[in-house]
Amino acid sequence: MVKNLVPIVSIPEVATIVDIRDEIEEVKSFYFTLDRPEIEEAFKIRSGQFIMCTVFRAGEFAVSLPFSPENDRKHISVRKVGKVTAALHQLEPGDKIGVRGPFGNGFPFEEIKGSNIIYVAGGIGLIPLRSSIVHVLQHRQDFGRVILVYGAKSSKELMYKESIREWQATENFETHFTIDRPEPGWSGEVGFVNHLTAKLDLPVSNTVAFVCGPPVMFNAVIKELKLKGIKEQNIYSTLERHMKCGIGKCQHCAIGRTLVCVDGPVYTYKQIRTLGEQI
Amino acid sequence: MYWLTKEQLPLLVQKLAEEYKIFGPRHDRVSGEVIFDHLPDLSELDLQAAIPYNPPKFILFPHYEEILKYRYQPETKKVRIEQLNLLEPKALIGLRSCDLTGLLCLDRFFLDQEYVDEFYLAHRKKLFIVSNTCIRPFPQCFCVCTDSGPAAREGFDLDLTFTGRDYLVEAGSKKGQALVEELNLVEADPESLNLRKQIIDDSVSSFDRFALENKAWISRATNRLTTGFIKPEVWEYIGNQCFECGACSFVCPTCSCFNIEDANLASGETSRLRTWDSCSFEGYTKMAGDHNPRKPVEDRRNKRFFCKLSYSQSKKYLRPGCVGCGRCARVCPGDIGLPNVVTYIRREITGESGE
Amino acid sequence: MPYFRGVCNFCGTGCGHLLRVEGNRVRGVYPLSGHPLSRGRLCVRGWHIHELLQTEDRISQPLIKDGSSFKPVSYEEALDYVVERVKKLPGRQVAVLGSPRASNEENYLLGKFARAILKTNNLSLSSDAGQEESARVLLEGCGWPAMTGTLAELRQADFILVVGGDLTKQNPIIASEIHHAHRAGTFLATISPRKTQMARLSQLHLRPKPGTIFYLLQGLARVLVEEKAIDDDYLSTFTVNSQTFLEELKQVEIEKIVEATGISREQMTGLARKLKESNSACAFYPTGVQSLDRRTMAALFNLFLLAGKIGRRGSGVNPVTGISNLLGSYDMGLSPVFLPGYASVEDELAWERLENFWQTKLDRWSGKNVDTCLSEGEDIKALFVVDHDEEIIRHVNRIRQLDLIVYFGAYENPFASLAHVIFPRTSYVEEEGTYTNSERRVQLVLKRIEPPAGVRPLWKTLTNLAQALGHDWNYHSVENIMSEISQLVPYYRSLTYEKLKARLGLKWPNDDLHPEGTDCLLVEEASRRFRFVQVNGQEKKLAGEPEVQKDFPFKLVVGRSNYFWHQNSVMKRTFIPKREYNALLLLYPRGFVEISKEDASRLGLREKQVVRIVAESAEVRLAARISGDILPGMLYIPYFIDEMIPEFLHRQVADLEKNEEFFLPVRLEKVV
Repeated sequence: MVKNLVPIVSIPEVATIVDIRDEIEEVKSFYFTLDRPEIEEAFKIRSGQFIMCTVFRAGEFAVSLPFSPENDRKHISVRKVGKVTAALHQLEPGDKIGVRGPFGNGFPFEEIKGSNIIYVAGGIGLIPLRSSIVHVLQHRQDFGRVILVYGAKSSKELMYKESIREWQATENFETHFTIDRPEPGWSGEVGFVNHLTAKLDLPVSNTVAFVCGPPVMFNAVIKELKLKGIKEQNIYSTLERHMKCGIGKCQHCAIGRTLVCVDGPVYTYKQIRTLGEQI
Repeated sequence: MYWLTKEQLPLLVQKLAEEYKIFGPRHDRVSGEVIFDHLPDLSELDLQAAIPYNPPKFILFPHYEEILKYRYQPETKKVRIEQLNLLEPKALIGLRSCDLTGLLCLDRFFLDQEYVDEFYLAHRKKLFIVSNTCIRPFPQCFCVCTDSGPAAREGFDLDLTFTGRDYLVEAGSKKGQALVEELNLVEADPESLNLRKQIIDDSVSSFDRFALENKAWISRATNRLTTGFIKPEVWEYIGNQCFECGACSFVCPTCSCFNIEDANLASGETSRLRTWDSCSFEGYTKMAGDHNPRKPVEDRRNKRFFCKLSYSQSKKYLRPGCVGCGRCARVCPGDIGLPNVVTYIRREITGESGE
Repeated sequence: MPYFRGVCNFCGTGCGHLLRVEGNRVRGVYPLSGHPLSRGRLCVRGWHIHELLQTEDRISQPLIKDGSSFKPVSYEEALDYVVERVKKLPGRQVAVLGSPRASNEENYLLGKFARAILKTNNLSLSSDAGQEESARVLLEGCGWPAMTGTLAELRQADFILVVGGDLTKQNPIIASEIHHAHRAGTFLATISPRKTQMARLSQLHLRPKPGTIFYLLQGLARVLVEEKAIDDDYLSTFTVNSQTFLEELKQVEIEKIVEATGISREQMTGLARKLKESNSACAFYPTGVQSLDRRTMAALFNLFLLAGKIGRRGSGVNPVTGISNLLGSYDMGLSPVFLPGYASVEDELAWERLENFWQTKLDRWSGKNVDTCLSEGEDIKALFVVDHDEEIIRHVNRIRQLDLIVYFGAYENPFASLAHVIFPRTSYVEEEGTYTNSERRVQLVLKRIEPPAGVRPLWKTLTNLAQALGHDWNYHSVENIMSEISQLVPYYRSLTYEKLKARLGLKWPNDDLHPEGTDCLLVEEASRRFRFVQVNGQEKKLAGEPEVQKDFPFKLVVGRSNYFWHQNSVMKRTFIPKREYNALLLLYPRGFVEISKEDASRLGLREKQVVRIVAESAEVRLAARISGDILPGMLYIPYFIDEMIPEFLHRQVADLEKNEEFFLPVRLEKVV
């Protein structure tokens, strides 16, 4: 996996929130630009990376980047889970945040050129996959079949509905949705993502899968993919861990011999399986 | 190699004090404690003192440090971020070889990985190191098991070996060489090389008599840890005794985990603080929300020992993460310092019964 | 030198540490390996005391309530405010609440201020019933109100019994000392309904049903007699009422005890034999919140007296205090039942001595605990409070009705917001003072940093107040106060700052006979023969099982936590200890109730499933935490912070605080 471009390492750069969108309950997207033009210019990311985001007077947290490296607005999508993210949710357009990064390895697009790609996401697990999906659709000719299998507890909890509509308008992009319980007006599948994955006719050879979602869903989906014959080294995911520094020093994100912040957050399932810790 | 007479030692210290803030071992008068400390009063320096209870880690990686300060005014949306100047020339005098080895581990970890830790670098940049050979081990020492003593091999500017009357001095850097020349130290004849070697050999052979608190057969434990063939019951036995105080990490010359917090000050500014942390704490890996990938205490314990003895070798320090100072054994309320853990692992290998 | 020697101020262990001071800031802490008790160890709290000392939410100037907020005033204005209102009040309408974290000097002066100037005998700490009972039991038994043994020789003991509490959480370094002794070969037994860490580390863990430890201890005494493990010489030489006690013991029926406690005769015999075989034997129990009840402490003392283990070197009954200066606060007489030095308030001669010494007339009416003053509709009009946690806020409605609340504190705190007038005070290490740990070790903490500008130490403010009220108080330093204490409190007779500065504490009694302090109570040196402590008929009654009510089949017990104990507003100001507490809250955001595996599977409960706990007067919803640590039939809620103690516990907390043997009958319902 490819290493970084030059990031903002220690001192946060100030950024302005230019727009805020409600995604689903408790999740908002914050669109931002970096205040210093030269930094804004130099801020280049790879799909799958993350930043450390400072909410001033509250603290800093790690957050994955959902936007594509090219032609996509810079933003983060954040669920309100703790003190710092709650403070972020209080902010309004025009407010400032701090940014360090981007950190981490990113998805290996060079290596998988020409492959079929299956995205399997559960709930807000679509956030870290979004960047990759946009990127792949921007380079659609470089890949074989591209399929999104996406599930959530209810239709209200499906992320990025607007983006999904745009993606569906793209040629050759297959989508399959499921929700846990039936709902009036829902025409998609009902049940867990792993069940849907099992039912689908998915490519196996020359195929990579990107899987992201809560631990229970993750493990169940991996099982199905393996049953279909997709190899462990062709299944990718991004791990989330408690992080404080982003640069491999604080050790909060250490799993066995790997540090999620510098060696990850993107790992193959084969790697994950040998890390020796729960997902 | 040079000679430094006992009388010249204060001159050396004085000379260094002109340029550097001086740190070294001193005694607390009431408790008798040996503390590696800042010495405004240079006469307090005691190179004969036993190994200090605290490693010099705090000088480069403080327990509680402000690394950044900012002021955010929500009304005007103005942010002013202030970078702090942490650079300060410091001389560490009388570093024992275990602590020097620990410091070199920290160097490799903070400076030689993918990213450079700028805050550590600021402390490290202008550092003068005078190491001090242990001519006799102390009760808790096992540096001979961890290849980190009793004498320093690298990383010092000057290295001292007490010969009973004077010190043999070796310069390990240009800075050190310059100081030796400035002080006009007498060059030692080639035989004194043998004298130094003799002193170190004597020290090594006296471990059986003096260093009785700990034994740690690190290499076998390391193999076992690296291959992962350790029964969960061993970790459970160890975990049951853990008081979760974090002390083992805090006193370890090579432990470098930290926490970062933003603390709002009465002045309206915010401090970004970096503080020591320990992987033995439950909250250490806990993520916001509800998920902790590493939960039972034995999980957290074994993480630390893996880090010290197994994974670290390959990547972080290019050597075991343990330098044989024995501090974790003394400070542990549960009596599960690293030497004991190594013993339990060894017992499992040899099949001796546990306690 | 950035590292300064000092003493940890969290729990009653009193560990030695080094504070790293830079400029006027404490920037780190390190254990002191030369300290005779802690020997270079600290617990998670001790390792983070500097985080607390960093806090910026200090009270930095006198404040007077102005409508719903406070206005800053000068010391003089604040003093005048108090003087004007207090002058008219009879002593009976005033109560004084001290802090077990304050120094001996501060607490002595506060007690003197209460008795000599406010003329009130309503003075106490808040939830300290266990400490008071413990002192009374030990005074009755051996005339010595604290630890009769010593921790210094613990590693030589060959029998250690820990009763109740959760020592590894409350006083981790004392627990560590016990653990180390055990690892060196000492027999270690724990009596606790809960499988605490100490219990897990013990060779023998007896888990009597809640509320039955007293019977178990009586049973052990009975078995000791049956096993002929009594030293008749010891009893006849050193005790006065052994015949009566042995006579009464005959009525104890082991079979009934087996039934009530769930502990078999074999288990009791096993433990009793170990006690009999031991040369030196120690017992430990916690005081303060989550202590034992009186009868249980008495039974424990009596058991050890029967075994001849009181007043012997290396042996003893050792109460352990949860807060830094809890013992010292009692030594200073901050109690409605004790005058300084444990003179009884029923001792007329002691009153006269005190009057002579203080040169003032004192009222003899019997005072009450502040808790009682506030809860029982007493005619209280004014309350003086030193740096107090918000725990007493359960009386908040009563407190709001008071005419005058004077708060002396270092940190902002919800209690302070109820006050009419607030005086700032120095925090720990901003002024010197002595603190007395569980082991009777009086340790001097020197001033290491300057207080915020204009903040006076408590002793100075009290002196100013006394002077403003027309009293001729004349203290110029803390040391002045210690020399007064040494004249009044016999245990402190030969203590001086000069001596303390050169030592790592001295264990009382410190007197002419013991100029270097006293390790332990020795029977040969005791002022009188020992007594078996009386337990009256009502207390003794073997209730059997009827306390389990049909509608409320579970026994709910409340316990403490390592990181957040005592609802301490102090710990909230740290980072790591707070994070550790929050870690638990993140897993159980609504708080939790522990239930045994057996009950959980019988009821079909899942981990974290929300349940309703219903007591007679209240109910609460909590997440279930399934645990192997508690007995079937029991439920356990950690008592550690406001967010986790919902309204439900607030109503019960006074009862729950009384002692660990207390439980609340409840039922558990699944929330559908």
